[in-house]
This record gives sequence, C-alpha cells and structure tokens, in this order.
Amino acid sequence: MKPEPRGNQAVKPIGLTHKQKNLIWIWIFLLPSIAAFLAFYLMPIITLIATGFTRWDGSRPPTYNGINNYVSLFNSVAFKKSIQNLLVWTLVAATVHVAYSVLIAVYLYKKPFGGRFVRVIYMVPNIIAPAAWAMIYRYFYNQDIGIVNHVVRIFSPGYSVPWLYVSPHAMVAVTMTWVFYGVVGTLIVLGDLMAIPAELHEAARIDGASDWKITRMINLPLCRISIGTNILLSINARITMYEMIRFTTRGGPINDTWNLPLILTDAINNSNYGYANAVGSIMFAFGLIVLIIINRALRMHESVY
Amino acid sequence: MKNSSHALSKSVMYAVLLFTVIVSGFPIMWVIMSSFKTNAQILSNPFSLPTGFIFSGYERAWKYCKFPTIYTNSFTIALSATFISLVIFSMAAYVIAKYQFKGRNLLYSLFVLTLLVPTMARAQPILRLIVGMNLYDTPLALILVYATTGMATCLFVLRATFMTIPLEFSEAAWLEGAGFIKTFLLINLPMAKSGLATAGTLLFLANWNEYYYAMLLTMKEVNRTVPFAITYFDNTFNFDYTSMFAALTLVIVPALIVYAIFQEQVAASLVASGVKG
Repeated sequence: MKPEPRGNQAVKPIGLTHKQKNLIWIWIFLLPSIAAFLAFYLMPIITLIATGFTRWDGSRPPTYNGINNYVSLFNSVAFKKSIQNLLVWTLVAATVHVAYSVLIAVYLYKKPFGGRFVRVIYMVPNIIAPAAWAMIYRYFYNQDIGIVNHVVRIFSPGYSVPWLYVSPHAMVAVTMTWVFYGVVGTLIVLGDLMAIPAELHEAARIDGASDWKITRMINLPLCRISIGTNILLSINARITMYEMIRFTTRGGPINDTWNLPLILTDAINNSNYGYANAVGSIMFAFGLIVLIIINRALRMHESVY
Repeated sequence: MKNSSHALSKSVMYAVLLFTVIVSGFPIMWVIMSSFKTNAQILSNPFSLPTGFIFSGYERAWKYCKFPTIYTNSFTIALSATFISLVIFSMAAYVIAKYQFKGRNLLYSLFVLTLLVPTMARAQPILRLIVGMNLYDTPLALILVYATTGMATCLFVLRATFMTIPLEFSEAAWLEGAGFIKTFLLINLPMAKSGLATAGTLLFLANWNEYYYAMLLTMKEVNRTVPFAITYFDNTFNFDYTSMFAALTLVIVPALIVYAIFQEQVAASLVASGVKG
C-alpha cells in the first residue's frame, strides 16, 4: 500500500487514491507469479498427495484405493532397493560429499597457489548438462576405451571389468559420478569463511592456536549454517538423481542402482499414475523429513553471530 | 618438527587440489581430445593425444544428430523461458521487496518453499496439465515448465537485489510525477542489473541443461532439445566413438562458452542456487 519505511525515515504521505492505485498495481505484478505457483506447484502437489491413494490410469477418473499403492510399493523389491540406495547415498552425501566440498573451501580460503584456477575448473562439471556428464562417465567406465580400466591395467595387466554392469562395482561407479563434485557447497562455505572477522583469528593466534585448530574450533563452527545448507542440497540432489542413473546403469545390474525417480518414471510410462504419485509423495516427504532433521541438528534457524 | 608437519599438510593440500582439478577437468578434456581421434586410436590408447584434427566425427555428429535443429530448439526454449521468468519474477520480487501489503510474507514464503518440491514429484500432474492445455510435444510446453521451475531461487535473488536499491530513487521519481510502472521500469529495473544477470545466468544454464521434462513432454524429433537428444546417441553412433565424442563435445561446448563469458555471474548463480529460503 505504501512504500516500506526504512530506518528512521518518515513515510512519504500518499493520497488515498494513489494508495489504491498502487494496491491494484501490486496485485497485477503478483498475478503471473501467483498463477505460476497455483498451476505448476500447488495444484500438482495437491494432485500428487491426493491421487497417491487412488488407482488411476489417466483415461478413467481416479478411484480411491486407500493405501494400496503404498502397500504394493513397500512389497516391491525395486522399491526396497531404491530406499536402501537412497539411504546409502544420503549417508555418503552428508558425510563424504559434504566433507570433501568443505575441505576444498577450507583450502581455497587459504589462497593457495593456483587457487583461482582450481575454482574455475572445479565449477565445470556443475555447468554442463547432467545427461552429458553421465554419458562421459559411462565411457569412462567402458571396458574397451574407458579410462578406469586402462588405469587399473597399468597395475594389473589384463584387468577388464564392465564397471557399470557388474555387482558390486556398479553402485560404487555411480556414486563416483557425483561424490567429488560439490562446487556449490564449496562456494557457499567459502562465502561464510570470508565473512569471519579477522580479529577472531588474530586473537586465536595470540593465544597460540595452530592453523588446524583455528579451522576446527573457530571457522567450521561459524560455517554451521552453510554446512547444513550444503548437506541439504546434497541430499536433495540424491532424491532427484535421474540422468546419472538413466544414462549409466539404468538401475542395474539386476536392481543394484535402482532409485525412486526411475520407479516414478516407469509408473508414468505405464500409465500407473496413482502409483507414480505415491512415489512422488514419498520423495517429497523424505525431503521434508531431512530438512527438519538437519535444521534441528545444526540449529540452522539460529543466527551464528 | 613443526616445519616438517607444516610442509606435509601443505603437500596434502596441493595433492587434494590437484586431484580436484583432474577429476573435474580431465573427463571433459578426454572427451574433446577423443573427438579428434580416429576410432582405432581411441581403441588402442584412450590416453594418447590426437595426432591431428580430424573433423569427420563432427561432420557425422552434426548431420545425424540434427544439431542445427536441436541447437535452435534448445536456444529458443531456454532463452524464452529465461526471459519469461525474469519478467514475471522481477515484477513479483519488486513489489515484495518495496511495498507493504496484506499477505506479503505469506506469499513470499509460499513462493520460496517451492524449492522443497523434488523435480520429478510434480511430473505426472504437470504432464496432465500440459496434455490438458493441448501443448504436449510442443516447444511451448517446455517453455512454460522451465519458466516456472526457477521460481524460488529467482525470487530470492531478485528480491534481495531490489531491497538494496535505496528508496530515495523511487521517491524522487514519484515527485517528478512518475507512476508505478515508470518507477519500476525506468528506475528500479535498470538498477537491479546485477541481480537480473545472476538470475538470468542461473535460469539459462538450468534450462539449457534440463533433461527430465524434455523427455516427459516431447516426442517428435523436430522438438528435441540438446540434452534429450543424448538419448539417441547410442543408436545413432553404435561403436563409432569418434562421432559419439564429437556429439558430446557439441553438447557441452555452448555451456562452456556461456561459462567463459559470464564467469562471475555463473559463480554468483551457483552460490544463489545453494541459498535456501
């Protein structure tokens, strides 16, 4: 209605008609975003949750079938394996993946020789299409031309393993396609590190603290929120990981690397919409639960300073 | 003693950084390098440098994957969607940042909470919506979906940008008799350039690289986008590694060019993509 007052500045008086006119404009400006929100977020989520409890093939209207979709999901081998994989990947994401990206942030913060170059190259995998990245990795693991086999052959001649198609290599191979790429996390932690006042470090140095001690006792605790964000981002990426599987193992061998997006997509392709939306609801719920747990554990809503 | 441990930790640091550069840079180098080698050279030694520049792989990739078509599709779709996003979300971000009205905080929270919805979770409802609008297998379907995908981060970045623009500029404009639209278009929007550039880069790259909805919502060859076209590389090239790597290079090069030109914006946009509401 009126411009927001800033600081101690008085609000500029505006006539009533002007105010009303502004109010109309405000809602006109919001309208496209509200429409987008309703059509592409709110309605889909309502549909998702509601039709997760129905049998629905798309041609006939959905019919309520209670928790049947969920029961058959929890009884299916692919789903059990997917949940197991999601939990393993979540654990790897929250530990190894995040630790690696934080380590790089701590190193880059020290302004090492070539640090800028490292940053530039480290960003590249996050810029190109995940589908292309997955394809590149598929050839990396290729039995004939793949780098992985060739490197192992240096040490053990004759070594030849189709990494993506045998158990247990496939799970490791798929995990490797993301575990060393965490530039988003690195950059947000680096931003927090840069924001730490220099006096804190000087005070610690006077007290005789080593570099490692400063990092561990001062810097990392002060980056609590960005590290938490980092964990959330990494886990969310695991929930929605599709191309990395679709273009490498396709869930195989047998169902070693199966995951929820694959089940959901299969169900859509088979016009099994109720089932697909039950899977979608589970993905959504998993994300929310992770968010709540991380928020609590790292007290992310409390300010650091 | 202290010095040697210092030297050790330093070497560990450089080893880790070197490792990072290799795992991030080498796969792409390898693809580009291999695209200039013959199939026999790729098979005999995947590490070897190309002996010359062989462009036959590119010729085949360009022709068989219909790069003129898929580049045009991807550019049109990514650019249009980015433009629409910037228009509608800058309008919303502007009024949320600069005006007080009932429901402001609620709306903003709802908009930003859209970040929590996993991409695929909305797949079936969106497929149905697009089919219902009679847009299935059209570029417009992807434009609409992409234009709304970046909602949360886009609003987040743009709202923060508009908040940094001092109100005095708008006040001066009002005194001069400028209306709501003029104050927005001529005063605030030009001053939000950096935020628009960050959000724009973020959106463009996300749209350019998007695979899932392209797969879900398009079918005909004429509507293929670049990432979706990758699906057909296997059948098209089938052991013709040179062409396969050439095609992959053609897929990643535009994103690399965007990165080379807008490095600062890309870095800023990566940070923005990581900031949760």
